[in-house]
Amino acid sequence: MHGMDVTLDRVEVTYPNGFTAVQPTDLTIRAGEFFSILGPSGCGKTTILRAVSGFVDPSAGRVMIGGEDQKGRSPNQRPTALIFQNLALFPLMSVRDNVAFGLEARGVSKRDRHAKAEELLHLVALGDQADKKPGELSGGQKQRVAIARALAVEPSVLLLDEPLSALDLKLRQHMRAELRDIQQKTGVTFIYITHDQGEALTMSDRIAVMNKGRIEQVGTGDEVYSRPDTAFAASFVGEINQFPGRVSALDGEMAYIDTPLGRLLGRNPQRLQPGAEAILFVRPENMGFQTSESGQPFGNQFNARMVRRDLEGAFINFQLQPEADTPSVALHLTNSGAVPAFEADLDTKVGFTCESALVLPKGQLARTGREEA
Amino acid sequence: MTSNRLLTFYTWAFLVFMFAPLLLMILTSFNDTSPPSVTDWQGLTFKWYEFFWMPETDLRADDVLRALDRDRFVGCFGNSLRVALTVVPLALILGLAGAVMLTRWQSRANGLLWWVLLSPMLAPGVVLGLSALVFWGRVGVNAGLFTIVMAQVTFIAGYPMLILMARLQRQPVEMEEAAMDLGASPLRIFFRITLPFLAPALVSAGVIAFLASMENYNTTMFAKGGSCTFATEIGAMARNPNGHPPVINAVGTVIILLTVAAAVTHAMLQRKDHRA
Repeated sequence: MHGMDVTLDRVEVTYPNGFTAVQPTDLTIRAGEFFSILGPSGCGKTTILRAVSGFVDPSAGRVMIGGEDQKGRSPNQRPTALIFQNLALFPLMSVRDNVAFGLEARGVSKRDRHAKAEELLHLVALGDQADKKPGELSGGQKQRVAIARALAVEPSVLLLDEPLSALDLKLRQHMRAELRDIQQKTGVTFIYITHDQGEALTMSDRIAVMNKGRIEQVGTGDEVYSRPDTAFAASFVGEINQFPGRVSALDGEMAYIDTPLGRLLGRNPQRLQPGAEAILFVRPENMGFQTSESGQPFGNQFNARMVRRDLEGAFINFQLQPEADTPSVALHLTNSGAVPAFEADLDTKVGFTCESALVLPKGQLARTGREEA
Repeated sequence: MTSNRLLTFYTWAFLVFMFAPLLLMILTSFNDTSPPSVTDWQGLTFKWYEFFWMPETDLRADDVLRALDRDRFVGCFGNSLRVALTVVPLALILGLAGAVMLTRWQSRANGLLWWVLLSPMLAPGVVLGLSALVFWGRVGVNAGLFTIVMAQVTFIAGYPMLILMARLQRQPVEMEEAAMDLGASPLRIFFRITLPFLAPALVSAGVIAFLASMENYNTTMFAKGGSCTFATEIGAMARNPNGHPPVINAVGTVIILLTVAAAVTHAMLQRKDHRA
């Protein structure tokens, strides 16, 4: 098995009802890469997957796999295998026959295809379940059967459509590691669709953040998390505090932004000019309490009232209400250093460094109550 | 409370109206008198059942039975079986084709097609029988078993179609897409994925089509020409102005038993199917 690269060249998908699910998109996925497409439901990520696998014809542009244009090739002629969200295992066949199905369709003899199925079932640690029916397996085992079945046809590109969404949290976290492991063992290109940023960040070599049929940013997990390009990418990937306002002055690489909380300073990677409508973003873990003992004052600070304190284990999450009439602010502290005692309505002073804040052009934000499947 | 009592009364009245005639019919099939009667009890007998296999000499000795044409009766029953066994596979094939088309072939014409394919089920059986008679007469085919089969298939195929459609709608399309993605041709997908999934529904549909064919009277009556089926022959015997022989009651009793047995089997198959 070896991975192939996938290139979308101005691919656009408009459905017969006139809805454009994917705006013209350029994207290059490298051979052997674990690539995630991250976005809310309805953003077009599944449509991209279906265009690569051949179930959807792009209305414009080309899908290239391994340098070859896939136009006119149906799903059974492409070097891809798709793992469906509901897995779509064949309920009446044994696990072995499920895995061997692709080889059966290729006319491989019974002995050879069963041998191959056994080998793959061992790869996914299901060697002793071959005679069972899918209905007798647990959620995680079904998941692994689906992966083995897809790998049996030796695809160069494996497409995964939110395959973990039906599993419970523990299993999901376990399967992340396992998927990553299988990807590295086989070297196949994985294109992984998800709305769960945790999945995307932990598994992927690179991530594309997608919204409303457009790819907003492509980068490594670190890049997307720490240096988002757009307001949407910032607000969709991880929790983040938002302070909308207007750029008032520049200071080298930094920009001042006037917000209801006063003038705040943050990095200005896109060189916004004074007068531009903007949002200053800062992660909750970059926020801190400004106490008299903590010495070094933060570059940005404001007064806020404590509203809630949630213990989350490694982190303690505070919710604070600034004096000004703005949305509440989240602040996460590691549960090791000095953590101030909580008291409802206690007045405090909080802040963040200028380097940890990012000023980005105003744009569409992700819904805060992000859907969890 | 009154409304509740009214409902109870209605339910019991309904059941009595439904089942009392059947019970009376079963009783009369064991009474040694003709025409059938429950009030005039002449003693227990099994001869109305034995009629079908008793020796010719015993048959001749009985006043009532010797008036009946046993060979014709058995022959008509054989015709019914032959018709049903032809109708069932035809109805299954046509019904399956219709079901696959209506559930998998997404087209604007689906709504229209649905009504066209189902209209024979709604049309009066008399009309179907008559139109089959006229059509095949014009084509030059004499009315007989063939026209019976053709007339019955037009509406009986609707039952398998409805049953198979319900089943197909429960199979996620992803199953077929997954098979295709793994390299299977449409033909292989049909035989390896779709057909096995439909198997239990095909059995139910076959049983229902068989029963529908066996018991059909009105459509068959018009399409039969000079031939006969079990249902039309019983109908002919029942029209006897001097009252029909209790043999018919015996036949009716057997049919009730078979119907109940078939319904129970069908219900059990379905339950098994739901568990799977």
